[in-house]
Amino acid sequence: MIVPYNYLPMQFSNHDAILADWEKLIQSTEFTLGSYVENFEKLFAEFIGSKHVIGTNTGTDALILALKAIGVGPGDEVISVPVTFYATIGAIVAAGAKPVFVDIDDRYQMDVNQIRGAITSKTKAILPVHWGGAAPDMPAIMGIANEHGLKVVEDACMAPGGRIFEKNSGTFGHANAWSMHPLKPLNVMGDGGMVSTDDDELANWMRIYRNHGMVDRDHNRIWGVNMRLQPLQAIVASHILKTVHVTVEERNKNAEILDEGLKALAPFVNVPPRPIGYWETYSLYMAKFHKRDELMKYLNELKIEAKIHYPVPLHLQEAARDLGYKEGDFLNSEIYCKEIMTLPAHQYISRDQLEYMLSSIANFYSTL
Amino acid sequence: MRVPYTAFKIKNAPIRQKLIQAFEQVIDSGHYIQGPNCAAFEQEFALFCGSPFASGTSNGTDSLHLILRAMGIGLGDEVITAPNSFIASASTIALVGATPVFVDVTEDLNIDPYKIEQAITSRTKAIIPIHLTGRPAKMLEINNIANKYNLFVLEDAAQSVGAKLKGKRVGSWGDAASFSLHPLKNLHAFGDAGIITTKNANLIERFNISKNHGLKNRDQCDFWSFNCRLDELQAALLRIQLQELEHWTEERRELAFRYNELLKPYVKVPEEGLDEYHVFQTYVVLAENRDELQKFLRDNGVEALVHYPTPIHMQPAAAGLNYKPNDFPVTQQLSKRIMSLPLYPGLTHEQQDLVAELISTFYKK
Repeated sequence: MIVPYNYLPMQFSNHDAILADWEKLIQSTEFTLGSYVENFEKLFAEFIGSKHVIGTNTGTDALILALKAIGVGPGDEVISVPVTFYATIGAIVAAGAKPVFVDIDDRYQMDVNQIRGAITSKTKAILPVHWGGAAPDMPAIMGIANEHGLKVVEDACMAPGGRIFEKNSGTFGHANAWSMHPLKPLNVMGDGGMVSTDDDELANWMRIYRNHGMVDRDHNRIWGVNMRLQPLQAIVASHILKTVHVTVEERNKNAEILDEGLKALAPFVNVPPRPIGYWETYSLYMAKFHKRDELMKYLNELKIEAKIHYPVPLHLQEAARDLGYKEGDFLNSEIYCKEIMTLPAHQYISRDQLEYMLSSIANFYSTL
Repeated sequence: MRVPYTAFKIKNAPIRQKLIQAFEQVIDSGHYIQGPNCAAFEQEFALFCGSPFASGTSNGTDSLHLILRAMGIGLGDEVITAPNSFIASASTIALVGATPVFVDVTEDLNIDPYKIEQAITSRTKAIIPIHLTGRPAKMLEINNIANKYNLFVLEDAAQSVGAKLKGKRVGSWGDAASFSLHPLKNLHAFGDAGIITTKNANLIERFNISKNHGLKNRDQCDFWSFNCRLDELQAALLRIQLQELEHWTEERRELAFRYNELLKPYVKVPEEGLDEYHVFQTYVVLAENRDELQKFLRDNGVEALVHYPTPIHMQPAAAGLNYKPNDFPVTQQLSKRIMSLPLYPGLTHEQQDLVAELISTFYKK
């Protein structure tokens, strides 16, 4: 039995509606922002309950745009985590600031108890990540930020459809970044992203900066960039948005089955706590596994496409050499990278496939 | 009869089926990021330009930005360019922390090679000549100066895919070149897209890593960087468009030369210099009483545009550079006379005749 990680051919097997809209787009020649992008921005703003949404070319661009909008620049420090995708930290550096890491907790999220210790006179913002689609303790993070007069940018790239009690992920911070990369719960057929905010001024600045600093066709108020969301991807996103709640619900059902099966394999497997009120998107279904590398090889040979997100924490990447961190600085993150594994748990995984994964993992440990 | 500035649907009708087929193939493949179509398009485009390497990007602005970074240009450096281009030619210089230094143009709308040398300082690192409107810049002279002072040459070829100088295509003259594949360009995607060419093996390696988060491979990040990838879907569509480019360009040129014959009694028409192959991405005439003429044409259904009415050195964004309007007298003069007329494959002779008739009527008044 194959358990595929990539579900895109299944998700887009019926693409007639997208293709029809695409042909309309060509007729309209609205290739630079325009009504398709605006329409999606409005739909997503309603979906998460945010006042403004600004479509961007990628999730990375969204992070850079949000950080620049809240005023992060050279000389500033931004607090984030070493367990995230490279772009989170790349965006801080792109904005001209210095990344400062704090460790993760047992849910693989920013450890809120370490934030205060990392704040200096240069700290401008906190950049918590909804890693895997599970939310960090956003109310606590906002409390610390307010206490110290800091801004918050949520990296909500994996979080569309997630929430903490009744409040949606990506609506806590001052400006929040989203990705629509193909393997996200809200996805397009290529790269895409957006920033959400309730602040009119930030939204206005971001709209100008993402389109060459143009206030109109002939006037550039500031040196800007081209970070526009493509209309074609806005069309795809508008269609997929209708399915996000169902997708996330399906993934939660799968996660529940995996959680139960894997908990029975303790102490070989360590499933993260799932606190009440945190509705995860399971963009990545992750747990820690004893003898991870051998297990993954075994599963991959069985055509179970398990993956690692990611094997090296960012403070130990070549790119981070100038930040002066060393091995042992963030122990939870380092252990995480050695033990973590992602299992396919997306909306197209069947009950049989889930059981097959669980029995395969059980088989692996039974031979130890 | 109306003459719109662009007419997308006409141009694409004959290849509609091929485009839809390519679209569906990519969807079914499930491979939407940096797949086989990106790699194939890069190879085909490099071959087309006569350059050893090409790398697809998210747009022309990102291309310029990442090439400048790959060249190691940053804070404290100066880069020479022309002030009559699209804003991205200069904004990307500012984006990497360097200072844009402008040099005036000649009547061909391209940078004046004889004014470059006096703008060079000890901080100058590169020259960005723009092949504006589809006409190649004076690359022989520019390359000579660059060699003399050991400067990089970055061709801004956003408007000039396929243009040639002495039979050699743009994109094969400088150390690197940046192309935009925006929908309004001669070779275009159906959204934002770009591509670069270079002859420098180190530069392409650095560039390819820098457009994908600084990732040497999936798990190793060599330097913090950006996401500026060409979409696989756009690459598949671009491969089909590339096959049509030469005959689209020929049609464009025929129409441009026909315009020239019709319009030369009234306005200064765009020329093709000796050893040049002009691709007329925009058909720009120099007109007296330009603003009234533009209004007259627009009132009569002809969508004439101006690229661009405010030179970059006079934009609010450039205020910090402290230029004055008359620092670049040719640019300043041209900005009051330039006007872009509708030109694209599928534009009819009747539409051209109407444009000519209106312009003639205007000047007889």
